[in-house]
Amino acid sequence: MKLPIWRSVDELQKPPDPCRELGPEAPEELSRRGILQLLGASAAMATLGGCLKPPDEKILPYTRQPPEITPGNPLHYATCSTLDGRATGLLVTASEGRPTKIEGSPEHPSSRGAIGVLEQAELMRLYDPQRLKVVQYQNQPRSWRDFLGATVANARILRDRGGEGLRFLMEPSSSPLIGHLRQRLIEAYPKARFSSWAAMPLQQIHDGSQLAFGGAYETRIDLSKATVLCSLDADLLSAMPGTVPNMKAWAAKRDPAIGPMARLYAVETNLTVTGMNADHRLRVKPTDVQRFGFALLGRLASQVPLLARYAPLAQKFALSPQNARFADVLAKDLARAGRGALVAVGPRQPPALHAAAHAINSALNSDCAAQAKPVLHDLDSGPRALRQLAEEMRAGRVDTLVITAWNPAYGAPADLNFGKALSQIPHSVYRTLYADETADRAGWVVPALHPLESWGDARAHDGTVTFQQPLISPLYAGAGEAEVLAAFLGEGDRTTYTQLREFWKSTAQDDLTWEKWIADGFIDGTATRPETPLVRHDAIFSEAMKAAPAETIPGFEINIVPDYRVWDGRFANVAWLQELPDPVTKLTWENGALMSPATAAALGVTQGDVVNLGRRGPPATAPAIIAPGHADGCVTVSMGYGRRGAGEGLCRGLGFDTATLRHEQGHWFGPGLTVTPLGRKERIAQTQEHHSMEGRTIAVSTTLRKLKQTQEELAEHRGPPLSYHAPQEYPGHKWGMAIDLSRCTGCNACMVACQAENNVPVVGKERVWRSREMHWLRVDRYFIGELENPGVVFQPLMCVHCEYAPCEYVCPVNATVHSDEGLNEMVYNRCVGTRYCSNNCPYKVRRFNFFSYTSDYTDVEKMAFNPDVTVRSRGVMEKCTYCVQRIERARIRTRVQGREMRDGDVVTACQQACPADAIVFGDLNDPRARVTTSSADERRYDLLHELGTRPRTAYLARVTNPNPELA
Amino acid sequence: MSSLFKPSSNTRFRMALVALAVLFGGGLIAGPMIYVRTPYYQQMQDPIDQPVQFDHRHHVGDEGIDCRYCHYLVEKSPNAGVPPTSVCLNCHAQIWNKSPKLAPVREAYFADRPIVWNKVNKLPHFVYFNHSIHVKQGVGCVTCHGRIDEMPAVEKGEPLTMGWCLDCHRAPEKFLRPRDQVTNMTWKPKDQLEIGRALKEQYHVQTRVSCTTCHR
Repeated sequence: MKLPIWRSVDELQKPPDPCRELGPEAPEELSRRGILQLLGASAAMATLGGCLKPPDEKILPYTRQPPEITPGNPLHYATCSTLDGRATGLLVTASEGRPTKIEGSPEHPSSRGAIGVLEQAELMRLYDPQRLKVVQYQNQPRSWRDFLGATVANARILRDRGGEGLRFLMEPSSSPLIGHLRQRLIEAYPKARFSSWAAMPLQQIHDGSQLAFGGAYETRIDLSKATVLCSLDADLLSAMPGTVPNMKAWAAKRDPAIGPMARLYAVETNLTVTGMNADHRLRVKPTDVQRFGFALLGRLASQVPLLARYAPLAQKFALSPQNARFADVLAKDLARAGRGALVAVGPRQPPALHAAAHAINSALNSDCAAQAKPVLHDLDSGPRALRQLAEEMRAGRVDTLVITAWNPAYGAPADLNFGKALSQIPHSVYRTLYADETADRAGWVVPALHPLESWGDARAHDGTVTFQQPLISPLYAGAGEAEVLAAFLGEGDRTTYTQLREFWKSTAQDDLTWEKWIADGFIDGTATRPETPLVRHDAIFSEAMKAAPAETIPGFEINIVPDYRVWDGRFANVAWLQELPDPVTKLTWENGALMSPATAAALGVTQGDVVNLGRRGPPATAPAIIAPGHADGCVTVSMGYGRRGAGEGLCRGLGFDTATLRHEQGHWFGPGLTVTPLGRKERIAQTQEHHSMEGRTIAVSTTLRKLKQTQEELAEHRGPPLSYHAPQEYPGHKWGMAIDLSRCTGCNACMVACQAENNVPVVGKERVWRSREMHWLRVDRYFIGELENPGVVFQPLMCVHCEYAPCEYVCPVNATVHSDEGLNEMVYNRCVGTRYCSNNCPYKVRRFNFFSYTSDYTDVEKMAFNPDVTVRSRGVMEKCTYCVQRIERARIRTRVQGREMRDGDVVTACQQACPADAIVFGDLNDPRARVTTSSADERRYDLLHELGTRPRTAYLARVTNPNPELA
Repeated sequence: MSSLFKPSSNTRFRMALVALAVLFGGGLIAGPMIYVRTPYYQQMQDPIDQPVQFDHRHHVGDEGIDCRYCHYLVEKSPNAGVPPTSVCLNCHAQIWNKSPKLAPVREAYFADRPIVWNKVNKLPHFVYFNHSIHVKQGVGCVTCHGRIDEMPAVEKGEPLTMGWCLDCHRAPEKFLRPRDQVTNMTWKPKDQLEIGRALKEQYHVQTRVSCTTCHR
């Protein structure tokens, strides 16, 4: 039986209407006559424009040329970006002194060049014209000197009282410099206290290891040795900070040609990127994840002697027959895998489940999980620590509060009433990039420096000391975190660099060592060492037995997740990320209430129906999104939307806020949710219904057992098609690409890379409704099989550079032509915008500039443009160029060096960004090139091969490795 | 009475109409085509005033300073590089260091403010020209910029239109010269085609005419 392949619930349930996607093309308010008049007028204007001479231009040379700068050639600097206290190594390209592209630092020992969407989008945050630009006191502009004066006066009083009433609410940090400053501050103000806050805390991980080992540890995951991986709500394969290094190791485990394939089981509530990649996926309510984990531990008791004492857990946490079968097979598979087994638990899960996973991993002697000391200064950066502070604030015991944490007034659970407590503090200082919700309530508001503007240090996910160096002078007045803290030591005039250099002087005596560290971006060999603490099985067992065997509170459960695009909301003002489709729901510009089709049917709601979500507080109003693969009886919402900050114009009013649904107890999920349909509908900007491929062989997915058969079937979908024409010869270079769907996890990192590299504009929500998003590269996501728990396959798709390109035949002005190396070229200055090419493109990868999307950019925003790529104007078509600017740069570079181009000289932006190495690019005429070997793979097929277009991009069929026992 | 107009008048009138249409229509199309090819439209032969009266005739012709002394990026960057002000002061700190003509240079240097030069050789922004590869492959400065050594104020020496670029990109042998003669303003081969063909072979010069060679 052939399983149906579908992209949305609507498509599965009703036959496609051929006109379904054709919305109104011309704006309705214009008549045909009006259009013709405008057309005539613009033709006349264009003719007149041709008579003008080019405008005068100026050249401004340097007075004294800095020795490292060669105008015209970009420079690359190693630095880092920090999220939730842990650094990711970056390599940033600077063109004439302005950062234009962020890539992963290939030498960094923690991330090895891998990078996700959030780090890449830091570029847009740097050039955001809505950033806070001046120091403010009670919403009035002030100078940094004023702030220092006020702080020194206040500090004198505080010092006399020994620091009583002085509190610091910090962004979670691992920075050695900040640690040193904290120590000095405590010495100066013995009664002062520090705490950390992040909406995505790692506190439960630390609590779990406390329970399991009697000490705080972090688990370092190494998937390169994994054979059976069980994810309990652990989103290991999404390109988020800390998970990117896993993706490369995992991808190698999913290539049947490299060696035995690993197998992934996922137990989760909402479909995640990891769930989409799972061979077997179980959807359970959020509170049931822990119960499933305990039941799994109970089942392993009979297979692993070391775990024998946990046998009663299997009885206590009874599972439904279907789930029990899943757990049985999983337990058997894990026990069989032994050292190659890994149970990974997500940070949202309670400590007892983390401890249970430690018990399993250590009993199986897993090579994939090692314990190491945490890198953060504050182990508890969650709601528990924040409650203590909020209570002190309400009790009037806080006189001065210094906040460097990101936006606690927005991110804190609603029941802490943090914002209200903050407005009552006599002296408050808030350091922030934007005038957000917390800035509205704080006294002194100090603009933060962007990571690309400031010095700093931090530890990476593996503990490696990593340095942050500025690539540009601060665009606006601002201060580093260290400078704000130093102000309380009376050293507010010392820059972060002075402090940093002095702090590290004890370790790096000579300047050469220091400069090597800064050039590398890290200090080699400073990763924290793995330890093997003893597991306290008794404590874990008794904690597990305390858990309730079933949820007692009836009704729906709420499940709150960080957003794949804006994280906890700190990236909400980044237009690239707002328009980036969510990898799972393909939603843009907002969040929604995700529910399973069965739950939606029970509630009587359909896609886009607005519902009220209530949980012991004022309700949140959200559009329902029918999410296949979601667990029944619960609703998933993502954080980061519903912003009200004065200074964040881009994201204000998008989506809804989840604060009222979050409580200190049950910050992430919990029972007691009420869902009330409001009887109205909202239009959702989803990209999923676009780009239909109408049921042809597009994204091929097969299983390891059927691989041979699939390879034979795929033989029809590759090779030269029948043609009257003699084949075109490409004697020089013959550029081609190969995309391995088996490696791709659908994480979207390539999409942001492409957008940054190629100056791809953002169009806004209304135009996404009209399917006019401009992404040159999209990741299509297809569901396979049943509606409730479907399999998923995804496919990055950009222009495939057909050798016989249908777009080229129909262009009346020769604006799209073929190069001698087989590139399908788009010549913007010839294009007159007939859009015939787009209509004739079978892959639907061409994008049309209906408007001049970049003409209203401010000068600061324009600084983000890649100088090697033309900024397109209104009325021209555009599409993937295979990063031709990188090809030409590499060609010129190698020829000036006097050598031929080699494999690896040209790396496209998407290929560079892919954390899973799913995309390879190169010269198909080079027999040793990686792209040539990939293209010769037995899994290779051509998209829409039957059309005879001879695409240069080859796809390699996805292979999954399901367990036959669960078939 | 014979008619005022003979029968042949009809034919003559029609022919006159056709002739008028051809002349007028031709003028409408040919006129602009001729206009855009004039040196006036192409802004050639139009010396551009600069904030400092820098005389290439003197520096290049009389003193014989190599182009690359000032335009030192030409071999390694897409830009030839307008020299930083400090390069002027390399000599003019010693000679003519009190000349009023050089006052703007000294002011700019000591105030650390760039001298605002007027661009002479302008290309549209969708054209990506790279100096380093042209110099490497033996295209002389004079081929595109004209006799700079004879210009008191620099003017555009060649049209720099796409058709003009393609003349060389299609047949580079007509213009190539040995690498050591690239900055020579007066180099003249005995047989350009013969030497050009040999150099094309020797330097592996490719005839690249794909659109993305220049437009990206």
